[in-house]
Amino acid sequence: MRIFRSSYTIAFSLFLNMLVLSHCAHAEQANFPSSFIEKIAPLNEQQKSFILNGKATQFVPHRQLVHEVQTRDLEGITLFVDDLMRVAQQMTYDPKTNMGAIPLNLKTRSFNNDVVTPQILLTHKRAAGPFSVNRYLFPESGIATFAGANLAIYPDDLIAGEVDVAIIGIPSDMGSGQRSANFAPSYMRMTNTMATVDEQSLVNPSQVLSIADYGDFTLDRWSAERSINHIAQMVAETSATGATPFIVGGDTSILYATVSGAAQHHGKQSFGLVHFSAHSDNALNAVHTVSDEQVISRLLREGIIEGKSLIQIGLRGPSLTPASLQWFRDNAIQYYTMAQFDNRGFEKTLKNIKRDYRRGPSKWFISIDVSAVNPSDIIAAGRIEAGGLEVDQIKKALRHFCASKEIVGFEITDLAPMLDLSKASVTNANALVNACLNGVALRKAGIKPDYIHPLTREDGE
Amino acid sequence: MKGFLTQNQTLFFTLFISYLLFASAGNTQETPGNIVGEAPYPFNSKDTRDKDLPDITLSDSVLALLEGMSDQDIALLKRAKASRFTGGEEGIEEKITAFDNKEELQAWVDAIRFVIEQSEYTEGRDAPNIPLNMESEEFNAWRMIRPRSLDPEREPGPISLSRPGISQGPITFGYLPMALTKEDLIAGEVDIAILGAPLNMGSGWRDSGANATAQLRLHGGEIGGLDQYVMVAAADVLNMVDYGDVAIDNLSTERSMGHIRSIVREIAETGAIPMIVGGDHSLEYPNVAALADVYGKEKVSVIHFDSHYDAWWGYDAHLISHGYPVYRLLMEGHVRPADFIQVGLRANGPDREAFKWMREQGMRYHTMAEIERRGWEAVIDRVVEEASEEGRKIHISFDIDVIDPAFAVATGTPVPGGLNMRESISIVRRLCAEANVVGFDLVELHPVLDPTYRTTLNSVHIIKACATGIAMRKEGITEAHYLSPVASEHAIGDYYGDQQKFLDKTAQEDAKEDAKEDEEDPKAEDAQKEQEQ
Repeated sequence: MRIFRSSYTIAFSLFLNMLVLSHCAHAEQANFPSSFIEKIAPLNEQQKSFILNGKATQFVPHRQLVHEVQTRDLEGITLFVDDLMRVAQQMTYDPKTNMGAIPLNLKTRSFNNDVVTPQILLTHKRAAGPFSVNRYLFPESGIATFAGANLAIYPDDLIAGEVDVAIIGIPSDMGSGQRSANFAPSYMRMTNTMATVDEQSLVNPSQVLSIADYGDFTLDRWSAERSINHIAQMVAETSATGATPFIVGGDTSILYATVSGAAQHHGKQSFGLVHFSAHSDNALNAVHTVSDEQVISRLLREGIIEGKSLIQIGLRGPSLTPASLQWFRDNAIQYYTMAQFDNRGFEKTLKNIKRDYRRGPSKWFISIDVSAVNPSDIIAAGRIEAGGLEVDQIKKALRHFCASKEIVGFEITDLAPMLDLSKASVTNANALVNACLNGVALRKAGIKPDYIHPLTREDGE
Repeated sequence: MKGFLTQNQTLFFTLFISYLLFASAGNTQETPGNIVGEAPYPFNSKDTRDKDLPDITLSDSVLALLEGMSDQDIALLKRAKASRFTGGEEGIEEKITAFDNKEELQAWVDAIRFVIEQSEYTEGRDAPNIPLNMESEEFNAWRMIRPRSLDPEREPGPISLSRPGISQGPITFGYLPMALTKEDLIAGEVDIAILGAPLNMGSGWRDSGANATAQLRLHGGEIGGLDQYVMVAAADVLNMVDYGDVAIDNLSTERSMGHIRSIVREIAETGAIPMIVGGDHSLEYPNVAALADVYGKEKVSVIHFDSHYDAWWGYDAHLISHGYPVYRLLMEGHVRPADFIQVGLRANGPDREAFKWMREQGMRYHTMAEIERRGWEAVIDRVVEEASEEGRKIHISFDIDVIDPAFAVATGTPVPGGLNMRESISIVRRLCAEANVVGFDLVELHPVLDPTYRTTLNSVHIIKACATGIAMRKEGITEAHYLSPVASEHAIGDYYGDQQKFLDKTAQEDAKEDAKEDEEDPKAEDAQKEQEQ
């Protein structure tokens, strides 16, 4: 499995090379030594151009290409190049042998599983408003909700309860990483450590904000594509009530749908996006049209988010190729790799990020893929990556972001609880949500973003 | 919490009223004094099995050796309680002669006195109870019922927590709707109310609390689902609800008992069957006592599945723990000894004395030794027969340590050599279908002890087996060891020589099903007509 995964990642980065930066590959033509050019001279024009225009390096590294050509005889070279050319040809869609789309059962009893039963059809009548799922005033166990909050089911409930923050589970599990992100909402409810007092400001978000558990949004469990419309529409509907959606994924593929949903209500490009992730998530020409690996490029390409209003934090690992970073730069995206944090130090880098944030739009969507966090804090990440930021560092940043500007949405994704027997990852994931809740509470209470309560300091000052 | 209460005086007033209501409700019931706090316990707490043994007689030669010792010391050495050190009438001389001098002998006697006296309760020296802070404004916070006025008004009845038609949010047992009050149970004509009971005090490990009920919910989706063995889906036949968790003071089993009993009683009073899950086996005591409150003393039998007999007493200063529920239920007269039927015993207790005591009491036990001797089928038939005597009401108390640790390792006191899952599911399903079950509990699950979710999953399927059985009973399927004819035979060819029987029986069931549908339809039409008029 491990071997498969690592070879997969290598293949994927090669693939990114191909998709993102074909002009880089062209530039490599000059790198062929003259002996190499002589050696391939007998090949036909098609074969020669396949090698020289850089197509071959989509399948083998440049170094290996030179080595293979220089150590083979003409017959061997021909075989090698023909094989690569055949692969290149078979890689692409062939209407004779490939399905160009995934067929569905159009005659099924229930094609759309996302039809919410209107309230009028329910036999049980109740007044609108979030309601408790507990018999007791101070419950210590029982049916678990996010932050121990009351449950809201319809938009009317959010409006009647003047809900500030609606915490929503989206148990998607169709991303490229390991499975079990669909369990994250349940485990984050069960590990009830959300909406607790902020250790820095001593503000208790539950006292300041009206928080509701808004249940889960439904999905087509076997298709991210078929899930996005419903998610986007539900997020827009939530935003329209005046509540800020706090979303608990699910894998990162839902980010496209949730940000689109926020844009449906607030307007395209009316807000910025902070995305904590180890991964660049900017694939440009993938076969599937919705996946975690292309959420960022899709949001930009469709004009939902502007490049200059996008801050990427915590980048590292195999998706961090020169090609993907170049794409970030070309799109004026403000990105902060782990290399930057290492070279300049956390505090200094955070200061720069805060500056970008301050200069950016007045409204923001904050997203954190838990892969941004160091595995020593959150090992249960679907797309785990060594290194990374600590939970306390990210909490500090989140509290600042959520306190200093209007938040149109918050999202945490790709927590895969089954990968951590200790479930410490779940507690840390809840702490990240709590950091933003604290920030939103500070803002509502009119307290300045990085306020430190004197009682929290040894010297009391 | 303190600030919250004082800030909101209306709320405080409501709390006070609900406290009064709770207290008065407690008094009007025929509740033993220990529950309402009038008496510490309703029976002599001395183990009735302890015999007051007479003093031993010391021979002249022994008395000669003890010459010069005080009368008090000699009286001490005569006490039966000292025998474990002195060796009794037969051994004492040998012990005493082993001492070289009078000083050593005196030190030995003093040590015996020390151990005996220090172990027993001594008035004036020992605190006779565990004091509580009666000044605390949060004294009863742990079990304060949330005033209804804090939530939007709603009609009584089970409440769905999912976004209707499509998805689940907060997870309930079996994805069932939630009920919070007696009115909800009555309005919903509820047959089964599943109550989480996160009692975390009793069994040595501390994970039978909130995590146990949470894990049972998380992995409990199957509870009301189709059971292929009998082709019945409990949730389709019965009105089932998640009745939330009962409040527990997890720093005192004693304090928790009364409240658990009142909530279980509340369920049983509506005619619904309480299924209490999670927590340690102390729960058997309030569960069965609550049923006795509703159905009358000595009217309910208990089938106690356990590798332990749980009738220990007097092993520490406590009046309830997971080793004591059976003793208390018997001594308080809730259940007749003959109506206590134990299955699966195999642990280091009961010992010989305890077995003899159980026989004297007239209790019925079915140990693993009996199962090994007679075979599973014979014993299971006997258990079902005993449980169904006179159509008596029964409560099933299922300690998961009756199951072999291969299937249920996440339990407080596992004992190898137990039932396998097929046996466990089949006997629970049979009892719940063939006998008149009015209560059920599943206890001693500590999920954290099993890094896989196997034990939780198996526990869920025991709960499901009972729900299925109760549904079968409601459907009129009470024949001995019923198995669905269509599920148990494909009937192509005649391999066993009786395949036609299965085809005929399936046809019979289909006809019955059709007749029932025809019967139901005109009724529904009539009701509709009435409404229209």
